[in-house]
Amino acid sequence: MSERRPFHRPQPRHWWAHKPYRAYTVRELSGVAVAVYGAILLVGLFCLWRGPDAYAVYRRILASDWSFVVHAVLLAAVLWHVVTWFEILPKTMPKLILRGLQLPQRQVTAMARLVALVCSAALLIVVVALGAMS
Amino acid sequence: MDHFDADILILGAGGAGLRAAIAAAQSAPESTIALVSKVYPMRSHTVAAEGGSAGVVQDHDSLDNHFNDTVAGGDWLCEQDVVEYFVEHCTPEMVQLEHWGCPWSRKPDGHINVRAFGGMKIERTWFAADRSGFHILHTLFQTSTRFPSIRRFDEHFCVDLLTEDGRAQGAVVLSLSTGEFTAIHARAVVIATGGAGRVFRQNTNGGIVTGDGMALAYRHGVPLRDMEFVQYHPTCLPGTGILITEACRGEGAFLLNKDGNRYLQDYGLGPAEAKPRNKYMELGPRDRLSQAFWHEQHKGRTLTTPQGEAVLLDLRHIGSARIKERLPLICDLAKQFMGVDATTMPIPVRPAVHYTMGGILVDIRTASPLAGLFAAGECSSVGIHGANRLGSNSLAELSVFGRVAGEQAALFARGSSAARRSDRAVDVAAKALALLDQKGAGERHAVLRAEMGASMEKGCGIYRLGPEMQNTCETLAELRKRYARITLEDKSRAWNTDWITAIELGFQLDVAQAMAHSGLARTESRGAHQRLDGFEQRDDANFLRHSLAHYRSADAPTVTYAPVTITKSPPGQRAYGALGEHEEAASKDVSPKGGRPPAPKDPAHV
Amino acid sequence: MSNTIARSKTIELRVLRYRPASDAEPVFVSYRVPYTDDMSVLQALQSIKDTQDGSLSFRWSCRMAICGSCGMMINGEPKLACNTFVRDLTPNAAVIEPLQNFPIERDLVVTVGDFVKKIESIYPYLMPKVPKPIEDGTYLQTPAQMTAYESFSDCINCMLCYAACPQFGANPDFIGPGAMAMLQRYNGDSRDGGQQFRLDRIHGEDGVWACTAVGVCSEVCPKQVDPANAVNQNKTNSALDFFLHYVRREQP
Repeated sequence: MSERRPFHRPQPRHWWAHKPYRAYTVRELSGVAVAVYGAILLVGLFCLWRGPDAYAVYRRILASDWSFVVHAVLLAAVLWHVVTWFEILPKTMPKLILRGLQLPQRQVTAMARLVALVCSAALLIVVVALGAMS
Repeated sequence: MDHFDADILILGAGGAGLRAAIAAAQSAPESTIALVSKVYPMRSHTVAAEGGSAGVVQDHDSLDNHFNDTVAGGDWLCEQDVVEYFVEHCTPEMVQLEHWGCPWSRKPDGHINVRAFGGMKIERTWFAADRSGFHILHTLFQTSTRFPSIRRFDEHFCVDLLTEDGRAQGAVVLSLSTGEFTAIHARAVVIATGGAGRVFRQNTNGGIVTGDGMALAYRHGVPLRDMEFVQYHPTCLPGTGILITEACRGEGAFLLNKDGNRYLQDYGLGPAEAKPRNKYMELGPRDRLSQAFWHEQHKGRTLTTPQGEAVLLDLRHIGSARIKERLPLICDLAKQFMGVDATTMPIPVRPAVHYTMGGILVDIRTASPLAGLFAAGECSSVGIHGANRLGSNSLAELSVFGRVAGEQAALFARGSSAARRSDRAVDVAAKALALLDQKGAGERHAVLRAEMGASMEKGCGIYRLGPEMQNTCETLAELRKRYARITLEDKSRAWNTDWITAIELGFQLDVAQAMAHSGLARTESRGAHQRLDGFEQRDDANFLRHSLAHYRSADAPTVTYAPVTITKSPPGQRAYGALGEHEEAASKDVSPKGGRPPAPKDPAHV
Repeated sequence: MSNTIARSKTIELRVLRYRPASDAEPVFVSYRVPYTDDMSVLQALQSIKDTQDGSLSFRWSCRMAICGSCGMMINGEPKLACNTFVRDLTPNAAVIEPLQNFPIERDLVVTVGDFVKKIESIYPYLMPKVPKPIEDGTYLQTPAQMTAYESFSDCINCMLCYAACPQFGANPDFIGPGAMAMLQRYNGDSRDGGQQFRLDRIHGEDGVWACTAVGVCSEVCPKQVDPANAVNQNKTNSALDFFLHYVRREQP
């Protein structure tokens, strides 16, 4: 029987609230925000299915002040989700070698964010145009 | 205590030890190989080697060139038959490493790239960025995991060899995590424990390079050969001694004194040219460059830094892109330890102890005079480095002679009877345990280690004087007496590094004594052993011989001499730079039986 | 270190000690250490060991951030002691603890054996696609092909990434960033043909799927290995392999 007696230190219970993990925690919560917003849209679809009265109620709630605040927060969170999503994107890909040099990960992120921005802008224009026409 | 039976025991899992283990596993797949290391293998000091490993590849190069460079670099103290074997086997071993995955740096077409290195006439140094040793070690370690017959004893410290019936029959090892002993019984033992640079105060070595295996073989009657030859690497960070690779100079770096002059041209290495030229200037051999520093320091032309005197290694003209591509580790080291951006400022450097040319006496088969005991790598003196090692020959040595040691040990084991389970193991353990309870003057062994380091630096420095070496011999004798009365603060068993480092100090004191006494006895200057006390010249008539240091327990070692094997290269003048070219041309004009033109006087000795 | 500098500056080091023979659990011990501007935390620890308390145990060797021995928590961050400098920690006390998420053997020494077993488990050696005798020379590999795996080959096995990984902290059987970096070093090597063997090691809860892309592993890595990339690019490989395996099984 030797002297050896390894000591197990438990993982700090609130590791996710401390540096350097806070950024990760905020990112993950932004994913929850996306889910919450998705649920709000789902409710809207459900009301639409239920009929014009139900949908009118939905739209009235949506137009309220606190709904505006909630949506502002959710928009910020979703935008943050988009930003951090593309930060992870190059980590999920093998190294891209162009002409002998590795394409830096921040360039991949920048290009992806640009594409997302362009697509979102295009979608927004289409939606607004359709709305204006109807 | 626990017992383990093996066919082959390998002490040390650095480049040589791992290569030996793989060779033994391949050549004798039915053998059990015990691979013991006091650290996890990837921590072995091979990991710190930076520059590269030699192997002839270019069409305009030849084995003869590599042979001649090595023998001349060793100031003709090399075993030339061994060097012939060595140069022949370097390239196949480098290819073998590549087949095992070693990420050698490549030319654009995918072939191996080679770089210039000090003392080499033609570029033949294979390199993996500036982390060659790191990549070689990791390749060997990872490859070794393929062989289930290699049974590793990680973080097991070897306390002593077991010898019985005139044969090496194993060792007693101590588990660092438990403090318990295991006796490993083996038919053949390979020592691959590395050098002993830590006996000096300023050195490039990691903390583990304490000459353990050298001391063990030495204490069991195996002579240590050529111990006076200790290499000072010319470019190391002041204070820490951290290595700044020769590859910087291979890429074209300049060495400047405090006036901004490329001072090496004053020491027979010129003329200075803008582009690096093999064997000229900064690509001269390490001993000559270290000696030049010493002279510059004495002339007051070195820079004073907070960590001591230094000269400047200037990489700026190489260009930022190339520096970052070829020397990324150097950039990091200069930044972190000296606050210097190597692309915009020169790096302060100075010589520090780097390599132990001498070691356990072995023949071309890596067999020592003790039956069943083999040695390979820096701990051994197989005869290829002579009085001064050329850069990139050491990493090559690990593979070439690591393989030989593994195969020879396997062959010996196959032809031997099983090792006897010796009672000696209990005595060995008891002796090691006695150190824990040792009562004495209460002195800390750290104090002794510091005094040893300072004394070795003073007495066995770049230039040596008889009285100073004598002082060092006396200091070491006194330190050994004080060592017998140190007390440890830590008397526990689990991870007691107070105990382990105290045992290491015992090894170091013995090896240091061999170095100092061998140095004192060699009354000539050759290679890395240079004297300023009337013995400034090389004396082939009396000293074209190897020194052999013999352990004599409490007394100082005795030093005897053995002849040097000369085959193809009769002793000539070591000349580099323009002088070297002149010498080479002249020697081609003269028949082997004729005389040689008188060599120009070495300006370093005026 | 230079003896000509008067060492009048001191720093307090609070070191988490643990001696299994005598301590029920780890306890902080404070030491006051004189320092110079070029001194590393490793040198400070050595100073404690040499002049104040010889019983302090810690791993170290090369002093130049290449052997990977001296990983520990310094002010709560996993770092190598040899290239963390006291000048950056002063004037406050520096808190020195063994690497997070590993059992403590003694003082600043943690259990490394499980990590070594993990790297041994991923077939960490080249399995050439095409066998080639030594006489035929080396395989060809262009610099571009080497760039594909080079960063992963720079891993010094220091385990700072494991200390940083909260999923490894929660699940010690997670294969982890370092082992995955080594796996990808071989899978990404143009000479290697052993990809399928290694893929079998990455599935499941203890494989890549324990990773939630926290990413701090790559932030703490002293050699810019980017283990997060090694783990996360293999999620696609794992999913594809799983799917293809399922499809292959369906075929007669």
